[in-house]
Amino acid sequence: MADASSAPAARKVVVFFKAIGDAPILKQSKFKIGGVEKFAKVIEFLRKQVHRETLFVYINSGFSPNPDENIWDLFENFGIDGKLVVNYACSMAWG
Amino acid sequence: MTVQARRHVWMGAIPLHLHLHSSEVTSLPAPPPFLILAPRNGYLPLLVDAIRPHFNSALPPGSDTIWFDYEGLPLKWNIPTGVLFDLLCAEPERPWNLTVHFRSYPAGVLSLCEDEAVKWNFINALKEAFYVMYGNTKSIMNMSQSDQVELWHCVMKGDLEGYDRLAARVKPAFGFGANVGRSEVGKPGRIPMRMYLRMVDQDLNDLFDVRPVSSWDDVVYVTCPIDVPKRRGTTLTLRDALMKVVPHLFSSSPTISNEVTLEAPSVMRASSNAVHNEFNGIVRVQGIEPSLDLPLDWVARNLCGPEHFVHLSVICTLVAPSLPPGAAD
Repeated sequence: MADASSAPAARKVVVFFKAIGDAPILKQSKFKIGGVEKFAKVIEFLRKQVHRETLFVYINSGFSPNPDENIWDLFENFGIDGKLVVNYACSMAWG
Repeated sequence: MTVQARRHVWMGAIPLHLHLHSSEVTSLPAPPPFLILAPRNGYLPLLVDAIRPHFNSALPPGSDTIWFDYEGLPLKWNIPTGVLFDLLCAEPERPWNLTVHFRSYPAGVLSLCEDEAVKWNFINALKEAFYVMYGNTKSIMNMSQSDQVELWHCVMKGDLEGYDRLAARVKPAFGFGANVGRSEVGKPGRIPMRMYLRMVDQDLNDLFDVRPVSSWDDVVYVTCPIDVPKRRGTTLTLRDALMKVVPHLFSSSPTISNEVTLEAPSVMRASSNAVHNEFNGIVRVQGIEPSLDLPLDWVARNLCGPEHFVHLSVICTLVAPSLPPGAAD
């Protein structure tokens, strides 16, 4: 059950990045990120890694969460096998 | 009855009283304030076409995205207007006095709102809700682009019938109109809930002088799916859902509140003993302070937004200890 209010601040989430289409593939695909961070942090991180201003970022090839959403919540709600799967594309992949 | 409740929710609106921010007034006299009804389930930037003509002649040169603030707090456009009102206006004021800006967009606080950002925010929230409910986003993915656009127009216009018609047409169907689709898709496994938690340092019976929220960091924002019990005959209530998400806001035993205990410990103890499992806060959904004994399923069907999330605004007083039992491991 999502319970961010009780989640210790130190909790980390393993984020697994998967490129879609012609998006550049990262050398390292798994990163740890603090659970208290917002999803905006993931987007910003990816932008820097792939040097693109415009990126489309999805969870589980399904939807783009709001940049405001808490990483720990997303992991609790949509994590698979202990990881949060984040897909990224340079053009819109799923309308 | 059910259909009627949804219709009321869809018709819900908040009267706004808009002032142009003083730094953007270049005319003398300054333009008078503008009054407009903002749909509860709508998003503030969608009002731009109605608002801009009124202020246009007063604006300085240049162009930027419209944004709003309440008592200095820039309003997040991705949160439905009704939720902003329930959360930020502790003692509901009507009309709601907001400041409108057409320049100096606070990109550090608000996410950019260009082109079709509001529409995509809605579609993605809808998909997220479906992921929570059914474990996939098929219903939405299977919609044709034109149906998706039309659905969005129905949301913007507050057209419930049109929305239900479209929702029933997709495979698998969704929407709650006359309960279509329910049997086809099956009951959702989880109910998508968003909770916005705001602490105030004041008695909840007297919200007139509550300090306004000065930063979004002061609002705890949680997306929390609630599992629907599989056993027949079990009804989950709103109270049950709250107990799962914010157990620390319930007092089943005498709560030790710093301030009250110092003043009158005996009175405090007596009153909390009398009420079992009392919720120490105010819950608002669609402008209503609902009974916590309402079945969650009913709340989800009737009081959810068009993106299927149930948005709960919770206002509570600062209580110590703030952690639920067992969280200190």
